[in-house]
Amino acid sequence: MAKVLVIEDDDATAQEMESCLVAAGHQVRREADGADGLQAALGGGFDAITLDRMLPGMNGLEVVGRLHGAGVYTPVLMVSALSDVDERIAGLRAGGDDYLTKPFDPGELAARLEVMLRRRSWVREASPVLQVGELELDLVRHSARRGAREIELLPMEFKLLEFMMRNAGQTLSRRMIFETVWEYYFDPGTNLIEVYVSRLRKAIDAPGERPLIRTVRGQGYKIDAG
Amino acid sequence: MPVSAWLDDAAPVRGWLQEVSRTTTARLTVLYGLIFAFGILALLGVVYWQSELYLNHRVDRILKARADVFLRATPADLPRLIREGLAVDGAQINVYALLSRDGAPLEGNLRRMPAGLTPDGASVDLPPTADFPAQARLIARRLPWGEILVVGRDVSQLTEMRAIVLQALGWSAVVIILTGLVLGASLSLNPLRRVRALQAACREIGDGDLRRRMPVSSRHDELDMFAATVNHTVEEVERLMAEVKGATETIAHDLRTPLTRARARLSRLEQSLGEADPRAEDALWVIDELDAVLGRFTAILRISELEARRRREGFVATDPADLARQAADLYGPLAEARGVSLETSGEAGGRIEADPKLLFEALSNLVDNAIKFTPAGGRVEVRAEAGPRIVVQDNGPGVPEAEQAAVLQRFYRGERDRLTPGSGLGLSIVAAIVRLHGFHLRLEDADPGLRAVIDCAPHDAGLPA
Repeated sequence: MAKVLVIEDDDATAQEMESCLVAAGHQVRREADGADGLQAALGGGFDAITLDRMLPGMNGLEVVGRLHGAGVYTPVLMVSALSDVDERIAGLRAGGDDYLTKPFDPGELAARLEVMLRRRSWVREASPVLQVGELELDLVRHSARRGAREIELLPMEFKLLEFMMRNAGQTLSRRMIFETVWEYYFDPGTNLIEVYVSRLRKAIDAPGERPLIRTVRGQGYKIDAG
Repeated sequence: MPVSAWLDDAAPVRGWLQEVSRTTTARLTVLYGLIFAFGILALLGVVYWQSELYLNHRVDRILKARADVFLRATPADLPRLIREGLAVDGAQINVYALLSRDGAPLEGNLRRMPAGLTPDGASVDLPPTADFPAQARLIARRLPWGEILVVGRDVSQLTEMRAIVLQALGWSAVVIILTGLVLGASLSLNPLRRVRALQAACREIGDGDLRRRMPVSSRHDELDMFAATVNHTVEEVERLMAEVKGATETIAHDLRTPLTRARARLSRLEQSLGEADPRAEDALWVIDELDAVLGRFTAILRISELEARRRREGFVATDPADLARQAADLYGPLAEARGVSLETSGEAGGRIEADPKLLFEALSNLVDNAIKFTPAGGRVEVRAEAGPRIVVQDNGPGVPEAEQAAVLQRFYRGERDRLTPGSGLGLSIVAAIVRLHGFHLRLEDADPGLRAVIDCAPHDAGLPA
């Protein structure tokens, strides 16, 4: 459970976000104004913040700037109706940790928040080896193994597997995968990610082994934890 | 310089002259010149004709008066009078002669009766003869005692006057025609330049840049009236287009929120059903359809975002070969999965001013499209060429020539992609990105297959910088 600050001026959207985050097991506080949001965030004690890009009082980019200025580095998910690549990049450059475009699927909000929270914990743990069940990924030696079997991976497959293993148990949408692993912000077309995931599957699941990557239809992909 | 080289050099000048000579101003100037020349000709003609009449009349009066003086003299005095008359004629402009009844010379400066002259008192112009070496006007009278009196006068001044008038006519014709040509050409230059500017603007509007306007000067002449009319029409078209576009975008924008909510609710429902439940399959089918609709709306809004952008924002020096390689890397696995070979070529080091992220998005769309429409065993090539241009070529079924322009329009889906999922907006996104850069996108028949070319040579026909 995490404490999440939702700074959002549109009441309906804020309501939707709160119910979704509460359903995901988080504790939520809402603020509708940029300045009030900043005060609350500076008060500390939050694990994550969702921040609307355009707010009365103070815009989202400025709120992030002030937070960083005050030495507060709570992870921030920027939420905005502006979807242009430049807007995303401006949001991320200002100090946002991730960027979500309105309208969004509440499931995606929860997933992105989860990914963001976990990223904080990797940084703290800084473990060189990721492990999910019998699957191991050595980030230093750049090697992967399942049990005793060495797995050959191409660089992008390695990056994709790392992202999925770090977020084991979490369903990751194609879009999240494309944005995080490839860092591109456009629609990659019909089934590019599907092809990459199926190649990865072929590499890590030898015939007869339990498939590790699951397709969640209509949602994305996930590796089951443990 | 060899003649052929001179002809080559002269060709553009000739073309230019031809173009100038075709303008309305040049034609009018030449026409006015001709009318003016005819006017001058008529005026000088009348002046000449009137002067000749007057001079002849005057000469006739002098001749008649002189003849009368001679006629009043007695037969004995007459030769003396003639002699005296000739003696005081220092300039030798007079003809006085007395001839016998049968034309033999008796006195004066004629040795015979000139041919064509009759002794009836009518004046006759005669060419120079051995007797009188100038053109002369003569009258002859028969004296009461039978001899013939001839009185005449040098009229070569009349001939000289005629020559002067003719010369004046010739020179004025030359001056008028030359001035007319030069004036015509120089007066045509400016209108021609303006017509060219109008033509260029018109072409850009025709190519779809509805923000472009025809240049209007402060002269309020007929070209300006024409340009203003066209501008008004384009404004109206732009307004209507903006309304249509605005309506499309509003629909896309407003429907996205409820559709996203519906999708989320349905997704939660589907997850609660469990895998064995047959209703889960239906729910997933609906989710797929909703995703297709949302994908379309996202693409519509993406295009309007691109169109609202200002050119050159975020432009940096970009290597097209690098983009081609990245696109081939990204789509390699997809091509492999489809049994299509994806190749890239092009020498690194080329430089174009571009937004690399946007251009990569455009290129990705083209590559994705090419892979989608190429059957297994086929080949897709993405390469950077000199020009500079970026080419994506497949050997699939291609696009019929008649459809090539249409596929760039929004929502157009050709015969070949009825069965393939997609928003039908991919190429429109590519076109919008290419337009934003001031580049040029064309589709060509690769025989077999389709070749999409992004021509990165700078075109000014883009959005305002």
